[in-house]
Amino acid sequence: MVVLKEIRHLSKSVEEYFNITEEVRRIVKESGVMNGLVAVITAHTTTGIMVNEALPCVERDISDLLERTVPPDAPYAHAHFLPDYGATGNNSQGHLKGMLMGNHCMFPVAGGQIVCGGAQEIYLVDFDGPQARKVYVEVMGETE
Amino acid sequence: MVIDMHLHPIFYKPVCTDEETLKFRMDQFGVWKQGPMDWDEIFAEMDVCGIEKSVMLPVDLTTTAGGMIISNDESAELERLQPGRMIGFASVDPHRGDAATELVRALDELGLHGLSLHPSKQKFHPDDPAAEELYRICEERNVPVIMHAGMSWEPDAPAKYGDPLQFEEMIMRHPDLRICLTHFAWPWVREMVMLMIKYPNVYTDTSVLYLDSPEESMMRLFTVDMGPRWFERGFSKQVMFASNTPRFRAFKLKRALDKVPMRKDARDGLYYKNALRFLYGKEYDSED
Repeated sequence: MVVLKEIRHLSKSVEEYFNITEEVRRIVKESGVMNGLVAVITAHTTTGIMVNEALPCVERDISDLLERTVPPDAPYAHAHFLPDYGATGNNSQGHLKGMLMGNHCMFPVAGGQIVCGGAQEIYLVDFDGPQARKVYVEVMGETE
Repeated sequence: MVIDMHLHPIFYKPVCTDEETLKFRMDQFGVWKQGPMDWDEIFAEMDVCGIEKSVMLPVDLTTTAGGMIISNDESAELERLQPGRMIGFASVDPHRGDAATELVRALDELGLHGLSLHPSKQKFHPDDPAAEELYRICEERNVPVIMHAGMSWEPDAPAKYGDPLQFEEMIMRHPDLRICLTHFAWPWVREMVMLMIKYPNVYTDTSVLYLDSPEESMMRLFTVDMGPRWFERGFSKQVMFASNTPRFRAFKLKRALDKVPMRKDARDGLYYKNALRFLYGKEYDSED
């Protein structure tokens, strides 16, 4: 059995760490899949899917690391007008941070629930907000 | 407070009622890969950089393309839905036979706050006699005119109509009409500066993000294309913050402008006081 659902989120700031763990848990529970896998995949190229501990200080350290690694004022090649968009790119920082964080995560499903460590939480991280964002959650496996 | 003096509400969901109309707007404006937006997403973008009000600019292309990039009725409807945050302008194609009648209807019946013209898309010279009656109508009502100037990314928009020197004679004929030539008339920035220092009723806006990052672009505009003190010394009451949404993202332009050194009074003018004076024709000493 395969169940595909979406999580929608409107970010309100330029960079935002949004914890989607409970929504993913609910989707897994309602899917009817008892044993298998759940994949959490972002639909965007300037967001990331992160698994980490849900502490503000951890979020801060991760954000600071990425900001040092991908500074806002570097001479990015993407900072120019894009004719097929009719708009200026200027979001390389988002693309590069999103690439470093990765676009998905996966967890086992057993007994109809996610199997994960006690400190593991799932985040949608927006690096080019504010924007309306979408995450796919696909649950695959046996129903018995 | 920040007022965004230049946005095109092409993707605002309440006026995205059919795909054919939306496709016309996108193809005429030359913007793709974006879709209809709800108010909460629109306001999130405004709120993140403190934009309290935005001015919506329609473009009437009746005789040049057979349609409109937002009609006057749509502009009025969007303002009715969000009074206080959205300020609607009118647009009329000067070559329409009923141009003057439609402008009077838009200002007097719909209550729109000024006239938006686009000489390059509407293919008229700013001192074309066909437009003269429209300027007179605005002057009589003490409402401003925003005219797209400089380069336009829109398809089928010859730059010769956007040369700021083309505007001088109509400016001279209308010394009491508040006129904004958009985009700093880029690439004719110094010609635009010349017009502002000659004519105090002439304004421009900051929606210039044609090359480089926002930070590089704004710093170059305010410190290289112009001398680094020209704005605050010469015409600090004549430049207005503007994003040209959906072409450029407002918060990125605002973030870039925050980094350009200038006096506080000049910055206040840039972000909102000049817009209030341009829109309503009087000085505002506070954010009230």
